[in-house]
Amino acid sequence: MDSKNTEKDLQNAQILNLDDDFSLVKRFIDGDESVFAVLVQRHKEKVRNIIYLTMNSSNSVDDIAQDVFLTVYRNLNNFRFESQFTTWLYRVTVNKCKDHMRKIKIRNIFTPINEAESKTDDSITPEDTDVSGIVQKAIRRLPEKLRVPLMLKDIEGMSYQEIAETVQCEIGTVKSRIFRAREGLKNLLKPYEEELMI
Amino acid sequence: MKKLNKKYEKLSAYLDEELSSQETREIEEELKFSKELQDKLNELKRIKKLTVSSIRCIPEAPYFETRLAATLNNKERHFEKLRKWIPAMGFTVLAVFLMIFLKFNPGVLNELVEQQKTNLAGFYQENLKPLFFASDLSNEDVFNFAFSKQLPLDKSNGQYLKLGYEPDGKEFFEIKTSGTDIQVDNLNKFVSKLKLNDTQKQQVDSILESYADNLQSQVLVNDKNTIAINPNLWNYNKAIVADLISFARKANKEEFNKIVPAGYFNYDNPEIATNVRRVKDSKDNQYIFFTPDTIFTESYEFDMNKFKKEMEIAKKEMKKNMEEARINLRDMKINLKLDSSFAKLKNDTSWAKNYKVFFDSNLCRVQLPQIVIPDISMPDMEEISKQVEEAMKNIPPIIIDVPGGKSKSYSFKYEYKDSSSNPVKIRIPNVDSILKNMGIFKGDSLLFNGKGKYFFPDSMASVFNDSLMYFDKEEFQQQMKRLQQEMERMREEMKRLRIEIHKDTLQRDKDDGSVEI
Repeated sequence: MDSKNTEKDLQNAQILNLDDDFSLVKRFIDGDESVFAVLVQRHKEKVRNIIYLTMNSSNSVDDIAQDVFLTVYRNLNNFRFESQFTTWLYRVTVNKCKDHMRKIKIRNIFTPINEAESKTDDSITPEDTDVSGIVQKAIRRLPEKLRVPLMLKDIEGMSYQEIAETVQCEIGTVKSRIFRAREGLKNLLKPYEEELMI
Repeated sequence: MKKLNKKYEKLSAYLDEELSSQETREIEEELKFSKELQDKLNELKRIKKLTVSSIRCIPEAPYFETRLAATLNNKERHFEKLRKWIPAMGFTVLAVFLMIFLKFNPGVLNELVEQQKTNLAGFYQENLKPLFFASDLSNEDVFNFAFSKQLPLDKSNGQYLKLGYEPDGKEFFEIKTSGTDIQVDNLNKFVSKLKLNDTQKQQVDSILESYADNLQSQVLVNDKNTIAINPNLWNYNKAIVADLISFARKANKEEFNKIVPAGYFNYDNPEIATNVRRVKDSKDNQYIFFTPDTIFTESYEFDMNKFKKEMEIAKKEMKKNMEEARINLRDMKINLKLDSSFAKLKNDTSWAKNYKVFFDSNLCRVQLPQIVIPDISMPDMEEISKQVEEAMKNIPPIIIDVPGGKSKSYSFKYEYKDSSSNPVKIRIPNVDSILKNMGIFKGDSLLFNGKGKYFFPDSMASVFNDSLMYFDKEEFQQQMKRLQQEMERMREEMKRLRIEIHKDTLQRDKDDGSVEI
């Protein structure tokens, strides 16, 4: 009876072991490309959310996410197992978001002023009564370098260490940026203190 | 203010549970006694709550994987399409690189070609050895080389190397595998024709032996079926003829003149000796390489001394162990195989401008229009060689007796000597005018030189060589018989004509009424 349990435990341990990210990546490197679908299935929603939170828009989320996984697919053979797979994946995601925002900025330079204004309207008006809408607009107005760590912490629940590795900065910087992001939000939402009961 | 911010940062981290246990204890101690810190913490908690509650996760994308798989396939297909062009792009880049490289280094290609030529030449020059050893060449062989231009390559297989000149004067060589028309025992016939005594015969042998040694390094072969011929071989041919003829004239002038008519050989012995020495001393290292792939001329230095040493060792070995040495000696000698590998040369146009190859089952003939033979002014021995060669055959010679220049009207006679009957003598008067009238000999010069003693080689020689000299006995007798019959008929005709004329004259006189006496 004991031996049967031990055998079962071992099988479970093997299954767990085979299913973790490192094992899947290793199998991919060894030529089993079918495991890439498992990795995508496992991490796609997290990646999409990070993009959504970083970009503050659902418009290009899937396009950027596709781009992220294409990059991962092409470069997975070079993965060196020095950090968590997720850390590397989120770093790729944030970088892709930055690239995308840079492209948008460049595109806006060549876009007529009226058209550009109509595209994004993040200004909070007195007519806005929806609490979520007001907060979302306020978050959108935060600078990217403050907004991304705040979102990764409060929405994704990452540790400061993971955030530091993802955005490639010091933990102290992450701590400072998150506090500054919260201070910025407080100031932006000051006119709505009563509605929001801050 | 800065210090306060640092405190609030710590408070924010405390809210996120990111402080160490020590820092947590410290901040909690401070929180107990600071209303300000407690308010700030509550404020941060409210902001965090608002953030968390306001942000909703993006709805799931059900077709995300399908779209990703399609994109991956497309990307792969796109890469595949690009990959098809990689070789073409590679060649283009290489071509451009080569063009630029050659633009700035124009000599590289020529150097490369020269290097390859040298390598090829080196390949075919390896292990070259004389085709025939001096010991293999008999005096008869050297004599035949002189007058028939044929050297035995492999006597057992009847393989011969033949040198010659095309009608336009260009040199050629042939490798015959069978069917040679060379006669045997020519040297003895030559000696007996000249009626040489034993001492003179030994001198002839000595002359021929001296050439056997020199001829060794003129034709080389190796195991790659390469044959290397030194163009000086053509000079050697002339030198041997000149040497023998010179000796023959000195040894027995009377008999010599019966073989070689006056006017054919008009060179001083010292001049001949000088030229023969120059041929033997010539160090020309340019060989014609005849290989299964190509024909080319290239400088090659054959170390005769080294080869002789090897031969000496082989001879010593032979004394020690006869059988083994015989095998070694046989291995040292390489026989040229005239096989179909040479036949492809015929279709190769790369060198066709320079050489022409005629090939059949038992003959390979190579015309050499551009070879450079060492410039040694040997007398033209072609005609003399023919004379001697003919003399070696059993056809009685026609002896031409050229009169001296005393008579004003030049004439000469020739004798057809039959061993059994009396000489046939035909006198042809005023030959010069006859030949002029026939258009054979043009120009103002006479058949004789200024002293009236010798024929010019290019006048009467050609006439007689092409005609009377080569009539054989029976044909000549038949022609003479026909000529006599013709003459007889003509005489009869003339007689009849004369009688008729006489009759006519008499009749006319009668009709004119003249008085008959």
